[in-house]
Amino acid sequence: MVQMPLTLAEPAHFSVVERLAFAVLGVASGALFWRRFGPILHKILESKRDPGFRLFPLGRRIRDFTWEVLCQAKVIRERPLPGLAHAFVFWGFCAFALVTINHCAVGLGVGFLSSEGWFSRLYFYLAGAFAIACAVGILGLFVRRFLVRPRWLGEKLSWESGFIAFLIFFLMVTYLAAFFVPAASHAAALLWWLHTLTLLVFLPIIPHTKHLHLVLSPATVFLSRGGFSDIPPLAGDEDFGLVAGADLTRLVSLQAYSCVECGRCTEHCPAANTGKILNPKEIILGLRGYLNEFGPKSAEPLLSKHIELEAPFQCTTCGACEFQCPVGIEHLPILVGLRRGAVNTGTWEDDHGAKLFLALERGSNALGMQATERDKFIQKQDFPIFDGTQEYCLWLGCMGAYDPKGREIVADFARVMTYLGTTFGVLRKEKCTGDPVRRLGNDLLFQQLTEANLDALAQNNVKKIVSICPHCVRTIQEDWKEYGLPPEVEHHSEFMARHLSRLPKPAQQETIVFHDPCYLGRYRDVYEEPRNIIKGAGHLVEAPRSRERSFCCGAGGGLAFLSEETGERVSHVRASELAGTGAQIVGTACPFCNSMLRDALTATGTSAPQLLDIAQLTARALPRLDSGNATSDVRESN
Amino acid sequence: MKIIVAIKQVPERDAQVRIDSTGKWIEETDLQWALNESDAYALEEALQFKEQHGGEVVVVSAGPERVGSTIREALAKGADRAIHTDCNDLGERDALGVARLLAAAIRTEQPDLVLTGLQSDDLGYGQTGVILAELLGLPHASLILHVEKSEGGITVKRELEEGWFQNIELPLPAALTIQSGGNKLRYATLMGIKRAKTKEVRRLTAAELGVADEPAVTLERIAMPQKQKSTQILSGTPQEAAAALVEKLKFEVRVL
Ligand code: SF4
Ligand code: SF4
Repeated sequence: MVQMPLTLAEPAHFSVVERLAFAVLGVASGALFWRRFGPILHKILESKRDPGFRLFPLGRRIRDFTWEVLCQAKVIRERPLPGLAHAFVFWGFCAFALVTINHCAVGLGVGFLSSEGWFSRLYFYLAGAFAIACAVGILGLFVRRFLVRPRWLGEKLSWESGFIAFLIFFLMVTYLAAFFVPAASHAAALLWWLHTLTLLVFLPIIPHTKHLHLVLSPATVFLSRGGFSDIPPLAGDEDFGLVAGADLTRLVSLQAYSCVECGRCTEHCPAANTGKILNPKEIILGLRGYLNEFGPKSAEPLLSKHIELEAPFQCTTCGACEFQCPVGIEHLPILVGLRRGAVNTGTWEDDHGAKLFLALERGSNALGMQATERDKFIQKQDFPIFDGTQEYCLWLGCMGAYDPKGREIVADFARVMTYLGTTFGVLRKEKCTGDPVRRLGNDLLFQQLTEANLDALAQNNVKKIVSICPHCVRTIQEDWKEYGLPPEVEHHSEFMARHLSRLPKPAQQETIVFHDPCYLGRYRDVYEEPRNIIKGAGHLVEAPRSRERSFCCGAGGGLAFLSEETGERVSHVRASELAGTGAQIVGTACPFCNSMLRDALTATGTSAPQLLDIAQLTARALPRLDSGNATSDVRESN
Repeated sequence: MKIIVAIKQVPERDAQVRIDSTGKWIEETDLQWALNESDAYALEEALQFKEQHGGEVVVVSAGPERVGSTIREALAKGADRAIHTDCNDLGERDALGVARLLAAAIRTEQPDLVLTGLQSDDLGYGQTGVILAELLGLPHASLILHVEKSEGGITVKRELEEGWFQNIELPLPAALTIQSGGNKLRYATLMGIKRAKTKEVRRLTAAELGVADEPAVTLERIAMPQKQKSTQILSGTPQEAAAALVEKLKFEVRVL
């Protein structure tokens, strides 16, 4: 066997006093850990069971766990440098598990990895390599937190984080140093004790700080609901959403205690970035504060001391926070849950909100228009009525049926379908899919609208729906499931991308910047289809924040119907960013984005780019038939 | 203080109404229904009054079984209990016939205040509330936006033409017809609907109330409004045509 130059030095033997001291300190450290961790665990387990939670199938959970926890993929992908530093610390910890167990066992005289055996030698070397990586990693994180100080980590310097970093660094140093001292020497004994004491100090600090995530976040990731913005069903007659502590479920409590305060959610949040009260990280920490003060059985309202009532209502449900969170916290079910609690009990009073709800209680659409306006539009466009013989039901949606710009988009998409020879029809009557009320937490209205729509679709024997609105698509496909089986549904970007080879290309090639709608991208994972369509219609330009990191237009979550009162307008921030790319055209794929950006782009200045939906970009290149003059008709009528 | 609110179920605003085979009423199958708009304001006024001064709000509605859903909506918004006077001939009854039904149901309650909407969105007689006051022998005021408590009774705010208002003092008990738009309406909540399930709805038939139907007015026939679009081309020189147009706008259309 090859002689290896360095071996890990271990103390020769331990006196009885030393062993006793180690045992006592070990028990004390463990007890201190439990004194704080026990109550936390108790609060989590004491919370209500999660309605609709199913552990199986495990495949998805194992995959997420492997990818997000073991590979640290999300941590690295969303913030590469600090992510990698964190990953090294994490992998270092994993590699160290065996070393640490052996280390303690040595103290009790039952060490099982001898520094002579080839396996332990190799393993110690491996752990040594990780120790170096880990030490460098933690040093990097320390520099970032205390010298670079990105504002997402909060104004206040957290000294406990500094102390923990020091402990971790010291653990690594004391381990590595043991390779350079003679075995069974005093120095070896000193290093052993320093390493051990550091460990014993580290353990009880964990549950007192955000380092609790070391213990909880693997479970949080493994147990997460999994779907994006997966809003749980209400259980029984007394469940109105998140009203008080008694409504917090185990998953919510577990997530509240798992937050590592990294601020990634806040960094990407359109509300927090435009001066609103809402800050997704503070929502999670607010729940934690609530649990610490009142516990999970309390009747104290959630929206009072720890979270302000307005905060959840400033959320555009863009999902950037949920998408970013590295420890598997699902913000949207929580934010929508808090809204449900306030709306289902009537606590939320807002003139615009009440107006929207009343419009949908008494009428059919979120814009509060007469349904006859939709009939007139259908007549004017000569849209066929769906009678079961056509392939697709073209779902107009509130924007497509009543909003002037939405109508142009629908009309152009209908032209594309006609050109392709795809048969379609529209429903004689259609109600709002319930998207805004679902996100605002009005379960009563959402159920009524869903049932009425499911009924109408079943009566008309609809099998396939296509829609220009990602909000309609998402709500029909995912949210309606709570009340029945929706037909197959797709977004017009998916439909057009499939038929791209049969569609003509325009002669002029302008530069087009694409704005990813939240409900198409993060919610539906559709990024390529609209891009392919745009590449056919011009030169694609990417916005600084695009794809998964796209910045919301400000319309989602029912906010298009409320008034944005505090701070800068989300739409203006996004519009200047898009205009700043210098593209000639802003391409959208959602009538809500279109509506928000329309005003915002005008506000950015005179040389504002043109704003066109992917359907309009596609229809521009179609040959003009005499009978296909529909588009210009709509424009005139507005 | 006991407040009674008489409410009516009418076809939903966006409903497509068709005439039924008798030609005397609309086809009710597949129709969606809602609470009459000004009745919703009457209910809101009653609920706000109760929230300020305490008491009880009881809703009364006449109509067939389907009316139950509108009654539940009113209970969900905060009414304490309801009386449903069951009848299948609402469309054939005139305003007096309906008022008699409601009056019979209300009389036993001995209310302090009776509110109705100004008029119904479907038939639009605008009489039921007024006749009801007469039948109950109560002082009455119409076109009310707000009700406030005063020394000996109530002060009500009436809306007149051209931005004029009138404040009137009334003794209690009294009956008022309420105008749309005086308040912000509240939205129905899930909790309200769930709580409404346990609230009392008393059902009474016309026979039980001892009210026979002897209509003084009967509906002969109902018809859809005819769409009229007549285009006239004015001939002659531009001057002549313009003169003819001014003539028509002045004397035929009377907009100048
Ligand atoms: S969903 Fe979007 S707006 Fe809402 S808290 Fe998360 S990041 Fe902010
Ligand atoms: S909620 Fe998630 S993303 Fe936000 S601070 Fe906590 S751990 Fe970070």
